[in-house]
Amino acid sequence: MVTAMVRFENVGMRYGAGPEVLRDVTFTLDPGSFSFLTGPSGAGKSTLLKLMYLAEPPSRGLITMFGQDVSRTHRSQFPALRRRIGVVFQDFRLLDHLTAYENVALPLRIAGQDATDYRQDVEELLSWVGLGERLKAKPRTLSGGEQQRIAIARAVVARPDVLLADEPTGNVDPDMGKRLIRLFEELNKLGTTVLIATHDRTLIESARAREMRLVDGRLVELRGPQP
Amino acid sequence: MNDYGRIMPRDRGAASLDVVIVVMAFLAALALGAALIAERAAVSWRTGLVGRITVQILPSEKAGDPDHEVRAALDVLRHTSGIAHAAQLSERETAELVRPWLGADALVSELPLPKLIDAKIAPGEGVDIDNLRRQIRAAAPDAIIDDHTRWLARLRSLARGVLWSAYGVLLLIALATAATVSFAIRAGLQAHREIVELLHQMGAHSSFIARAFEWHYFFAALIAGAIGTALAAGLYSAGTGLEAVGLEAVPFLPPVGLHLSELAWFLVIPVAASWIALATARFSVLGVLARIY
Repeated sequence: MVTAMVRFENVGMRYGAGPEVLRDVTFTLDPGSFSFLTGPSGAGKSTLLKLMYLAEPPSRGLITMFGQDVSRTHRSQFPALRRRIGVVFQDFRLLDHLTAYENVALPLRIAGQDATDYRQDVEELLSWVGLGERLKAKPRTLSGGEQQRIAIARAVVARPDVLLADEPTGNVDPDMGKRLIRLFEELNKLGTTVLIATHDRTLIESARAREMRLVDGRLVELRGPQP
Repeated sequence: MNDYGRIMPRDRGAASLDVVIVVMAFLAALALGAALIAERAAVSWRTGLVGRITVQILPSEKAGDPDHEVRAALDVLRHTSGIAHAAQLSERETAELVRPWLGADALVSELPLPKLIDAKIAPGEGVDIDNLRRQIRAAAPDAIIDDHTRWLARLRSLARGVLWSAYGVLLLIALATAATVSFAIRAGLQAHREIVELLHQMGAHSSFIARAFEWHYFFAALIAGAIGTALAAGLYSAGTGLEAVGLEAVPFLPPVGLHLSELAWFLVIPVAASWIALATARFSVLGVLARIY
């Protein structure tokens, strides 16, 4: 039996004494799968992603990442788990004092790789997302779409096992949106498990992948895993 | 700059921390300079007095000829093994000794000043002072023998006091620097919380994030510490310059100038400041990160 990349069983989440944002969420992401997470604003998509990229512990339920029960995993092992997850944040979270190149190279620096080993990969990736001429540009001098592409390049540069993207095409034109989806699909073909949280119906229909919808904190499977 | 340093942007308000470190390093260098001067003064006082014995023949009404007692005491000294040299001070030399206190008035020459004998102990030789004292008192009943041990003990305790005070000041400055850097780091962590959380989320180990902070503060403290130390070194050098042209920088105290070999000790201060900043940064950041999921 293949070990799921991500497994949620009856997961619930509430902040402090507030109401539950997520209720009894159960699903698995198999290795190499491609899925969309949809739902109205405030349905809990960002919270679900946070639990998946290990930014918060759940209030209840079981989360298994790469076959490891997160609640039983020692905190010293978390960095190794997190390095297997690439995240595209909705608000990009780029470091404004670093250049586009340095932002994209950050996960590789964190992984302890030498600059001479990754320079070419980072430059090629930035060219792929159309920013080959803006390597030394600081994020503040770039448009929203350009910043989003840097955020995507940063998330995929280390070839993560799982890629989580929160509205990754929200700030780019349709052509660039398609190009970015192709990047995700290429990565997916290489074995990365991809989950994209989005409102973009065109994007969802074009990829024809699995779709999970969050409604009032509950997860509904709209379209099952594609063969 | 170290590769880690660039991950953290320079803090807004970092200049005030730099100023604090400049002041701390300046004060630390002043304290260290004071300790070095105290040490040097104590050594010079000690070498001036150790190995010397002074015999005073007090003028006495009941006794006989003081010159006879001087000769008798000199005779005892010259026959004591370990005494390299013994000679009576002339009246002019004795008057010279009291001149700073009594002046050179004609009246002074009429005062009944004691006869003084200065004796030198041969280097490396030991002299039984109690035995010598008994022998001299037998030959010259009005003699007082002083081997300066009481004065030397007081000098030693004074020098020790100055030294330990200086070390205490240095310790307090180190603690204050650590507390200030710790405070600045906590503020910096708060200001850059998003960066810390991002690095954390990307799988950075706590030690990686701590290094990004500690090298940042290491170099800041090194530069600020060097500036503060250079200011204090300039002050001491000015003292040396004044003394070189014959001016007393601080009246009544030993020379306040420092030799080049002593100034070299000042290099320790910026290095210590930077390592204190580095260690404080590391503990502060690890403490904060331990509380993040």
